Amino acid sequence: MTEAELAARLRDEVGRTFGRSLHIRTIDTGSCAACESEIRMLLAPHYDLTRLGFFFTPTPRHADLLMVTGPGAVGMDHALRLTYQAMPDPKVVVAVGACPLGGVLGPDILTHGSIQELIPVDVVIPGCPPSPIALLHGLLVATGRLAARVNPARFMTAPPPAPGKTA
Amino acid sequence: MAAWFLRGIRRRVVTTRYPRGHDPWTADLPAPPAFDPGALTVPLANAVASVCPSRALWLDAGDLVLDLGRCTACGRCLEVAGTGSRSSSCIELSTPGPRGTLVRIPIGGSPG
Repeated sequence: MTEAELAARLRDEVGRTFGRSLHIRTIDTGSCAACESEIRMLLAPHYDLTRLGFFFTPTPRHADLLMVTGPGAVGMDHALRLTYQAMPDPKVVVAVGACPLGGVLGPDILTHGSIQELIPVDVVIPGCPPSPIALLHGLLVATGRLAARVNPARFMTAPPPAPGKTA
Repeated sequence: MAAWFLRGIRRRVVTTRYPRGHDPWTADLPAPPAFDPGALTVPLANAVASVCPSRALWLDAGDLVLDLGRCTACGRCLEVAGTGSRSSSCIELSTPGPRGTLVRIPIGGSPG
């Protein structure tokens, strides 16, 4: 089975498992609350998260998807681990913003600098903070309802030179 | 209305689709940089990498590597790179797994 076939099968299974209804639990591991502000805006009429079958839940025991913000404060280790363990399988972890991806704070005595060593991250949503439309895109990528496409050409203002011409 | 309701019950379909196009105002949002590979030189790439406060830019094997996950779209590299760069206006950057956020930009200029 090729990688593309495996990916297609995984997408089908995720779609079937969550049945277009998915409950989200958020956890803040020391962020500045900008990401939380954007996540809250997902419920505003302009974005209207519930039209797509996503709902926020106050307990991890009812959650299918964990949105983690913040750089992984050491003081939140226990809470993050318990939250992850309390979620029933299958579960999806989404890292929201630059903090959990190591872009804001480095590792020190107070933070891990990134959450990728703490819990397995399935989908990342870059941005500082990611706009609600980026969060919506990330949630649809997490449930396999949109293909993830980061086109490298978008980050070049002109086509790259032919091979052999690089310095 | 009735057809919409029955379709929703029967197939659990979404009531509306994900936005098919970008809202015009999203072009003004802070976004990661885009560089012109032809205008990039090794010293310039080193300069943009050194001003990045997020450690999102570094040089590797003749390429400038941009980690979209770490980038906070602060714009300091755009000030250094000048006309050889602009904002990518790309905000929907989600990928499965942390490695999908790496973009390699070939350095096309000569070291000077």
